[in-house]
Amino acid sequence: MIEVHRVSKVYSVGPVKVPALREVSFRIAKGEFVVLTGASGAGKTTLLRLLYADEPASEGDIEVAGFNVTNLRRSEIPRLRRSLGIVFQDAKLLSGRTVFENIAFVLRVLGAARHEITPKAFQALKAVGLSARAQAYPAQLSQGEAQRAALARAIVKSPALLLADEPTGNLDEDMAGEILDLIKDIWSRGTTVLLATHQSRLAAQLRRRTLRLDAGVLTKDEG
Amino acid sequence: MGVSAVLLITLSLTALGGFWLLSLNLGRAVAQWRDRVRVVVFLKDEPTPSALPDLTRRVEALDGVHRVRYVSKAEALSSLRQSLGAQAGVVDHLPRNPLPASLEVTPAEGATTPEATRALAAKLAAFPETEEVQGGAEWVEGLARWQRLFQVVGLGVGAVLALAAILTVTTATTLVLHVRRAETEIMRLVGASETVVRIPQLLQGMVQGLLGAVVALALLEAAYAVGAPKLEPLLQLTLGLARAVFLSLPQILLLIVGGAILGGLGGLLARGRAVA
Repeated sequence: MIEVHRVSKVYSVGPVKVPALREVSFRIAKGEFVVLTGASGAGKTTLLRLLYADEPASEGDIEVAGFNVTNLRRSEIPRLRRSLGIVFQDAKLLSGRTVFENIAFVLRVLGAARHEITPKAFQALKAVGLSARAQAYPAQLSQGEAQRAALARAIVKSPALLLADEPTGNLDEDMAGEILDLIKDIWSRGTTVLLATHQSRLAAQLRRRTLRLDAGVLTKDEG
Repeated sequence: MGVSAVLLITLSLTALGGFWLLSLNLGRAVAQWRDRVRVVVFLKDEPTPSALPDLTRRVEALDGVHRVRYVSKAEALSSLRQSLGAQAGVVDHLPRNPLPASLEVTPAEGATTPEATRALAAKLAAFPETEEVQGGAEWVEGLARWQRLFQVVGLGVGAVLALAAILTVTTATTLVLHVRRAETEIMRLVGASETVVRIPQLLQGMVQGLLGAVVALALLEAAYAVGAPKLEPLLQLTLGLARAVFLSLPQILLLIVGGAILGGLGGLLARGRAVA
């Protein structure tokens, strides 16, 4: 599902070159649940951004869900992203829309048939246990609920791969546990998961294959 | 900002449409006067009935001559009497008819240019019967030059205002994009195609453009409705135009489509600025 081969990313700040990733290589098979750990600033978010083609790698090759991301043309990026579900620490819900509308919005912009939108959106909300809050606005949600809504939005298009960037970063332990349970649920239904977190205790709790980044270098791949 | 965009589009299309109207009506006058170009050959003596057919034949045989009409001295006097109207009595006090007989020569189609009429006049002046040759297309060409000037000025002013309108629509749309950046970010993250992301910008610009065009047309129509009845007597007197015409349906549609294109272009350009 994911193949990363000797990938480096260097940011230029004026004349200064700042390496964010150095020769990172790993493979994630279809159906795996992999945790990406490392301290803040270790390069986890950068790596995920390279995977969903938000920016190009400086060196190396990346393949995601059958797409050669390294040589992907701009016009092909939407096709790659349609096969991915992406969740962030900040739920990134549209504030002027209800939870239901946030989910339906995705289906609408992807050109889903009108009659499919409502049942699919409710199915996704049910999967994250948020059906009762469908008509609530983001400002009326707890952080845990907002993250559930973000998960529902990510899975409503049935992605092959879920990229979760610190989805529990803003949550207390109980809420974080609930979100992780939901992600495990999604994974158990066949979606490959790559979850980035700086919370090493949480990573250990999951007891899944773990990749560790330290200052942009992959220092551990075990489990 | 959206209102400014609509106003600028209105302004640019009103200017463009206004110059178009002027040019259109001048063009009609030019076409009408081109049809009426005549070269008049004043004759030294009134030809005898037996000499007239020969003279007419020789003139008709010249290149660029469409028709020849003989105007006798008596006919010329009668025309003068008619054009003097109430003052026609003065003619009766003349001891004799002072007006010469003449040939009114209508140039052929395509021979109404100043060069062609000058060449024709030169040939006619060489006839032994000719006293003087008058007429030609110079002043019609002067009118045509004014028409071209209106076209160029109209296009120039319209283009400058259109550019300003595009920039205003671009700025307006850029602001909207900033407000809606969360929405476009999500659209891109979930894999919406660029077309889907851009359509709202394009539509917004086009709606502003259409609105501007409709307001511009309403202003032009109002100006025409008020101004045309007042200007028509003057047009009749100076250019011989019985009435001023408004833009035709295809021209109106072109102006509306132009507005939509202006607005749409501004909307599309906004993306680059928003991304930058």
